Amino acid sequence: MDDGGRRARIMAAVTKHDAGAGADAGELIQRLCWFVVNEMDLSGCALVLMSGADSSSMLAGAGPHAQTVTGLQMELGEGPCLQAYNSGVPVLLPDLTAENANRWPTFAAAALAVGVQAEFSLPLSVRPGGIGTLDLCRDTPGMLSGEQLADAMVTADIARDAVLYQQYVPGNPDLAGLLATVGTDRIVIHQATGMIAAQLDETTSNALARLRAAAFVSGRAMYDIAQDVVERRVRFDE
Amino acid sequence: MNGGSGSMSEIGGPSARPDDSGPDRQREDVARDTVLARAFVRLADTLASDFDVVDFLQSLSADSVEIVGAEAAGVMLADARGGLRLIASSDERMRLLELFELQGAQGPCLDAFSSGQAVQANAADSRSRWPVFAPHASDAGFQMMCAVPLRIRTNVIGALNLFRGTDTPFTGAEMDLAQAMAEVAAIGLTQERALRERSLLAGQLQAALNSRVVIEQAKGMLAEYLNMTMDEAFTLLRNYARDHNRKLSELAGDITCRKISRAALVQRRGQEP
Repeated sequence: MDDGGRRARIMAAVTKHDAGAGADAGELIQRLCWFVVNEMDLSGCALVLMSGADSSSMLAGAGPHAQTVTGLQMELGEGPCLQAYNSGVPVLLPDLTAENANRWPTFAAAALAVGVQAEFSLPLSVRPGGIGTLDLCRDTPGMLSGEQLADAMVTADIARDAVLYQQYVPGNPDLAGLLATVGTDRIVIHQATGMIAAQLDETTSNALARLRAAAFVSGRAMYDIAQDVVERRVRFDE
Repeated sequence: MNGGSGSMSEIGGPSARPDDSGPDRQREDVARDTVLARAFVRLADTLASDFDVVDFLQSLSADSVEIVGAEAAGVMLADARGGLRLIASSDERMRLLELFELQGAQGPCLDAFSSGQAVQANAADSRSRWPVFAPHASDAGFQMMCAVPLRIRTNVIGALNLFRGTDTPFTGAEMDLAQAMAEVAAIGLTQERALRERSLLAGQLQAALNSRVVIEQAKGMLAEYLNMTMDEAFTLLRNYARDHNRKLSELAGDITCRKISRAALVQRRGQEP
């Protein structure tokens, strides 16, 4: 099947219960995630918007592992989705216990620990870069079939266009409406990053690395430490 | 598409000699096919990173003059409001003529654009169809003129004008060829526009994502430097941006990369109500 036929079939599948579903990009993207989860028997699918390693946020997700895998990669600052975003090439890890997952040993170990066995990250490509990734994961190992992979890539393209053309959707005059709802859980991390940068007289990216390292060493979530920093219970210059 | 049953080897200006099938003629065919193939490759190549719409349409003008057998050619494109604008011409005489066409709001290019159909006229036709434009064409030395729309299915984005100094009509095959070149150019331009629009939107999205991060980080820095709450930090940031006529995200970026010093921020705090 060519991409046009695939696109039409996927759009029909996600809008079959009501034709107006495509009018709201957020709703459409949510349905695309569920489509992929059901069609490919996944345990999670997440659409992640990114403008760099430090500013990624999940726009929509489906399945029990959607938040898990995305959250882990943000927490660790490494993983297949960052690679897919930076390279513009899909990263396919059909077995996280295998050698090729060793590019991200910390991520692979953490994902396996929560029951994720396979992870596939597809870039949302826009020349010359990209705007994020569509991340798929499964609680059993194994490669996606060629058909599934082709479906997933077309789904990623539909989702990308839905995000980009959101500003032309009536009732949503700008991107701000869409973005207001995503990544709000990361705000406290950005604020803490600024405070740590001021405390250490460091760049913000070094400050974020310090925050991430503190989370890793203590085994606590970055969010919790960031909360302590913002509420002035923890300082990094002591 | 305009009628005409010619194959590529029959295409040519008035000097073509269809009866001659000797080796010279075959060599000419090959040479012409090569020119044609190269022109179509150029027309399809719109996705290069250094694509330039004026260069692209300039080469459409030059190629169509050579391939269709005309003296001059020009291309007009619709602007955002639907009006035509002159983009490229094969020579200066043509450029002036097309300006007259736009000024008088009449002429072959405008008709091809508004009807979506190919148009052809000789000197007498042109005087009755376009009384304001025709004298300019005749003064410039042109007797035969045609125009084909730059269209994709029903969507017309511009038109290609071709002029001859002689009164030899454009054959059906020549008109077909001009139309084919115009259509390939239209497809290429539309693809390039879609891609450009998408990367513009992607850039805006990235900027929006980045600006949120940097604004929160700047609030954190202000909160730490000036020992204030995040809300107070945001108010200071917003007032500072307004007073200096700066964008919030740019100001935030200047703060996080220390272009605005801590001392300046402390001083600014003193000025807050």
